[in-house]
Amino acid sequence: MANQQTLLSPAELAYLHTSLSLSPPIRPDGRTSKQFRPLTAETGILPGTNGSARVCLADGTEAIVGVKAEIEKTVDLLGGEHYQEYVKSASGAGGGDAEEDRRQARGEWLEMTVEIPGLRDDDAGTVFLAELLREALLADGEFAKKLWINRRFHWRLYLDIILISPPLSYPLPLLSLTTHLALLSTRLPRLKSEGDEDPMFDDDWEASPFLYPRQGAAAGSRPPITLLVVAVGDSILFDPSKEELAVADSALAVSLCEVRTQKADESMEVDSGRELRLVSMRTVDPPSRLTPPGVPSTGNLAASGTFDPSSQKKQQQQRVEEFPQEGVWKAPLGGTRFAVLDSIIQAVLEKGGVADEVLDGLEGVDLS
Amino acid sequence: MTSLKRTQRSDQAALNISNKVYVRSTRSGKVQKIVREVYLRTDIPCSSNLCRTCLSQAPRNAANEALPFVLSERPAGTRSFPQGHYLVPDTNALLNAMDLFEQSSSFYDVIILQTVLEELKNRSFPLYNRLVGLTKSEDKRFYVFFNEFRQETYVNRETGESVNDRNDRAVRQAVKWYGEHLALTKAAKIPAVVMLSDDRDNLRKAREQGLHASSLRDYVSELEDGERLLDMIAESQSQAQGGFKQASQQPIYPEYYTASRMMTGVKAGLLHQGIFNVSPYNYLEGSIKVPAFPKSLLILGRENINRAIDGDVVVVELLPQDQWKSPSTKIIEEDTITKNENADTEERQDFVSDKERKALQEEVKRTQKASGENQLQPTAKVVGIVKRNWRQYVGHIDPSTANKGSSQGRKLDSVFLIPMDKKIPKIRLRTRQVSELLGKRLLVTVDSWDRDSRHPVGHLVRSLGELETKAAETEALLLEWDVQYRPFPKTVLDCLPKEGHDWKVPASKEDPGWRDREDLRELLICSIDPPGCQDIDDALHARLLPNGNYEVGVHIADVSNFVKPANAMDTEASIRGTTVYLVDKRIDMLPMLLGTDLCSLKPYVERFAFTVIWELNENADIVNVRFTKSVIASREAFSYEQAQLRIDDKSQQDDLTKGMRMLLMLSKKLKKKRMDAGALSLSSPEIKVHMESESSDPIDVKTKELLDTNSLVEEFMLFANVSVAAKIYEAFPQTAILRRHAAPPKTNFDELADQLRIKRGLELRTDSSKALADSLDKCVDDKDSFFNTLVRIMATRCMMSAEYFCSGTQSYPEFRHYGLASEIYTHFTSPIRRYADLLAHRQLAAAIGYEAVHPSVRSRGRLEAVCKNINVRHRNAQMAGRASIAYYVGQALKGKVAEEEAFVMKIFSNGFVVLVPRFGIEGLIRLRDLADPEPESEYDAETYTLTTKGEKSIKVELFQKVVVRVHDDKDERTGKRGVKMELVSA
Repeated sequence: MANQQTLLSPAELAYLHTSLSLSPPIRPDGRTSKQFRPLTAETGILPGTNGSARVCLADGTEAIVGVKAEIEKTVDLLGGEHYQEYVKSASGAGGGDAEEDRRQARGEWLEMTVEIPGLRDDDAGTVFLAELLREALLADGEFAKKLWINRRFHWRLYLDIILISPPLSYPLPLLSLTTHLALLSTRLPRLKSEGDEDPMFDDDWEASPFLYPRQGAAAGSRPPITLLVVAVGDSILFDPSKEELAVADSALAVSLCEVRTQKADESMEVDSGRELRLVSMRTVDPPSRLTPPGVPSTGNLAASGTFDPSSQKKQQQQRVEEFPQEGVWKAPLGGTRFAVLDSIIQAVLEKGGVADEVLDGLEGVDLS
Repeated sequence: MTSLKRTQRSDQAALNISNKVYVRSTRSGKVQKIVREVYLRTDIPCSSNLCRTCLSQAPRNAANEALPFVLSERPAGTRSFPQGHYLVPDTNALLNAMDLFEQSSSFYDVIILQTVLEELKNRSFPLYNRLVGLTKSEDKRFYVFFNEFRQETYVNRETGESVNDRNDRAVRQAVKWYGEHLALTKAAKIPAVVMLSDDRDNLRKAREQGLHASSLRDYVSELEDGERLLDMIAESQSQAQGGFKQASQQPIYPEYYTASRMMTGVKAGLLHQGIFNVSPYNYLEGSIKVPAFPKSLLILGRENINRAIDGDVVVVELLPQDQWKSPSTKIIEEDTITKNENADTEERQDFVSDKERKALQEEVKRTQKASGENQLQPTAKVVGIVKRNWRQYVGHIDPSTANKGSSQGRKLDSVFLIPMDKKIPKIRLRTRQVSELLGKRLLVTVDSWDRDSRHPVGHLVRSLGELETKAAETEALLLEWDVQYRPFPKTVLDCLPKEGHDWKVPASKEDPGWRDREDLRELLICSIDPPGCQDIDDALHARLLPNGNYEVGVHIADVSNFVKPANAMDTEASIRGTTVYLVDKRIDMLPMLLGTDLCSLKPYVERFAFTVIWELNENADIVNVRFTKSVIASREAFSYEQAQLRIDDKSQQDDLTKGMRMLLMLSKKLKKKRMDAGALSLSSPEIKVHMESESSDPIDVKTKELLDTNSLVEEFMLFANVSVAAKIYEAFPQTAILRRHAAPPKTNFDELADQLRIKRGLELRTDSSKALADSLDKCVDDKDSFFNTLVRIMATRCMMSAEYFCSGTQSYPEFRHYGLASEIYTHFTSPIRRYADLLAHRQLAAAIGYEAVHPSVRSRGRLEAVCKNINVRHRNAQMAGRASIAYYVGQALKGKVAEEEAFVMKIFSNGFVVLVPRFGIEGLIRLRDLADPEPESEYDAETYTLTTKGEKSIKVELFQKVVVRVHDDKDERTGKRGVKMELVSA
């Protein structure tokens, strides 16, 4: 995030910081602290992929995600193929427990690339971003199991994320939402063969099942979403804009997923079926840490007009030790306070909270 | 959050574009989602001659011509549609009743929708090919309408709709559009557009939409000869309406594995795939040759054969070792064992009937006795079918299954059809016309063989005529061997030279026909052929050169001058592959005009030829060889006998005769060299049927006589073939058309070698063709000159068959022709009757720079396909020829009884096979025919001796000379006439 330099002066930073620290905070675009920027989404935009989505943010950032699946032979960690096992099971020795075997599923079956215009694909920031998203996806261990076909074959999933506009703000939430939608619309060809045979598939695309089944008993977890939350003073702000990030005391990427538990039919409350689970949380280095500090007008040479070399040395010492001074910008230091962490988690997970709101929004998107 | 939803047809431009999405699994195991865009058009014509609009809009080719419209202005009407009608069959209708559509009495003006054509292609490729053939025939007026590309008839698949439902809807949409479209023509009588379907749901929906729709049965029953046609609807269809099946029946055959399970198994080496072959002597024993084992796997018993029919590509699973057996030594014929089965009832308990069980039981007993001798062969069971190679089968109804009492009722009867080919199981038919079909040769198709049906179920295609009439029997054997015997279509005849029989070699040498042609008209060329030969492929000449060497020329009819690559005639010839010679009939590969006139190197006229000229020294070694296109004038066409007489006649001292003597002298040297190199002289019983010229009824049978002149021609043809092979291989190392004869695997000779060793103390050495040739020469019996021929005949059967191939597919050492002991070989000398020779001609012409290489002669893929086809055709032609001879031998013997010498070729535990040299036929003598009740017998497999006890006690050994009484016999039960042999004395 280092290269997300904002061109704000220390005074402007200080002003922003102050207004965001108010309770309730005053955000530059007038949003409430938990409000998201409006966005437009559609799925199934790339006909050649197994699943795809596009999301546009109101500020003009736009991302496309395409998912492609390829079949691959599972190679045993010890080097051998699961061939002997097949030979055993084919000769009638019993097929073994599929659930047990599914545990063999491995996270490396998912490959994820992120492309951001203007950045190299091996840029540390991009790689970190990709890893962040990948980690969230694989965190619950359910995802890799979906790629398991039988003991000899699995799907390899290529998830390609492309930001097609310049990165106007830190694109994590955008990419995460787009990925979520793309995975929801992903379908894999319907398997026709049984057991450990070489897989054969139905050639009818319409018959292919969704990676995340829509409804019914099979509907388990949903793909996770990762939200970016910043703390400024005591305020907690969701979906920060570029400017807000520039003054954040700390930034957190919070990944959570929705688990749909199977409920008895009589309880017809659809909403209560949603259960949120925190999957991962990572602090992100906010760009505010690299901002140059403001100089109090007392120490401002241009203002006082005098130059005293001894006083300059003193001033430097002073600046480090000095308590933050109201109205003078100083890059934040240190980690996130527990209280802040706690309130972030609360705000995310509470019923009717931010996550609920976002998921409701995502649910409204037509999947094609 | 806003959700964007693009509407599918938001703008005008989107109207003519759509897409198709499907999953494709590639051979290498990749699975891809494929999206294809479909561009919809509005100018695809309806092709009805009523329609003016379409005619004006129809797409035109570069010459600004539209394709002629197909559908008639005044199509035939039926009771329901007196105004005339066009038919639109759906896929099921075609699957169930393709034979109906091929009728010449009805089913004209048919619209084949693209949807249906594609679906049919996926479901059954052979049927698809037949349909494509139909759409090409001009008089049937079948039109393929590309409904999936026309905007009005394209339908989008709706969510949740199955592919089948969508296709059915597409068919209905097309029918609807046709109806509305034709109404616009304002013709006086607008034909009805009738959908033919067997899908009730589809029919109902069509009627709801107000379309004309009819089931096959309803439609056919309105036709004039509906009764007859009804029999041609596939059995599966009538089953749906309460046919054979009773619901509660349990399946009697094991279920097949799923396709993926078979595929995995075959890949893993657990299962084996191969072509299923049935033993000609035992219908319950099959074998399958798989790459994993040197010997073929045995498949014994009905349950293990599991509904496979001879020729199917099947997947088998090995049985445990304790179930391995040796091949049967017993003759088991289906018609004798299952004689009294009733076609109507299916009795569950006798799935493996007691008789079958008993037959197998004896097998096991015998095997166990002989075990330890390591003669056991691995056995297997069929677990799945990769590809059915069902064809149409010829046979006749088993009269014992026909219920005679009910013949007046016109009710559906179930009968068994006994196929001519003994390897094919009985086929169950349902027909309304049993009484008419009894005693006729019938052509049937197998529709299905379900798990709960003991026999395959089929339906009648047509009747070929009375049993034993020449027309019916000839057609039957042509059909059995898949010989294309229909007259040449017009497109082929259009490729012939316009001058017809008046075609002549151009007088002026400036004519393009003379380009690069050598004028060899001065040479004293003659041809030597069998008497009465009309298609003279080859002619020869020889003369002494001033330097003491000989110049020898082989002149082959220049067929490639008349048959240009890739035109209709060439395509037809490549499909036919070879001319088929029957006793009384010849089915030509090329039209008569070419074969017997323009190409034929007839005497006294000038003809184009392709010439090979050698300069040979005294030892018949090649000094020089060259190839050229030429013009020749043959001086005389001899028969073998005439040529022999002329050579032997010392008074003839003209140059032509001298040339022939030179040829004979050189040919003997060539033959000697060939024999020294290890060429085999093999035998097959060759006989000739003499016909009375007018009635063309056979009057006598003779074995063919071989004269020196036969071998004269043969030697030079071989010589030419070898020279040409070397030349075209040099020019086209990847694509030369060659012929190879693989060395037989040693195991093939095991049995014969063992038999010779035990019975005669002779050694058969098989390490090389030379060793084999030498050891065969030693197999003589002083008392019996025929013994050597017998051994040669049996050795021939152990060989591999020679095959055409494309040089790029094999490595050079594999090119070897085992039988001729030649490193490289091809066929060049009979282009009139073999397609391979025609290809060799084109390649040679290109090799000597006479003409440019045509792409079809260069493309390896195409050449491989052609080779595969001509290999099959070649074999079939031989088989058809033999079958024809066998039939005529039977006819020649009709009403006669002859006592003949015969030799025992094969011994079973309950009978033996003898060969009668005089007629060149083999016959089976069963023990049960010797005496009644069947004499008790003992078979000693180690010494190949069969001894019977009781009042008629005999001892039969392998190679023994016996005397048999040969007479023709009509089996009362099957109505089949065949040669019957009885043992007179052993």
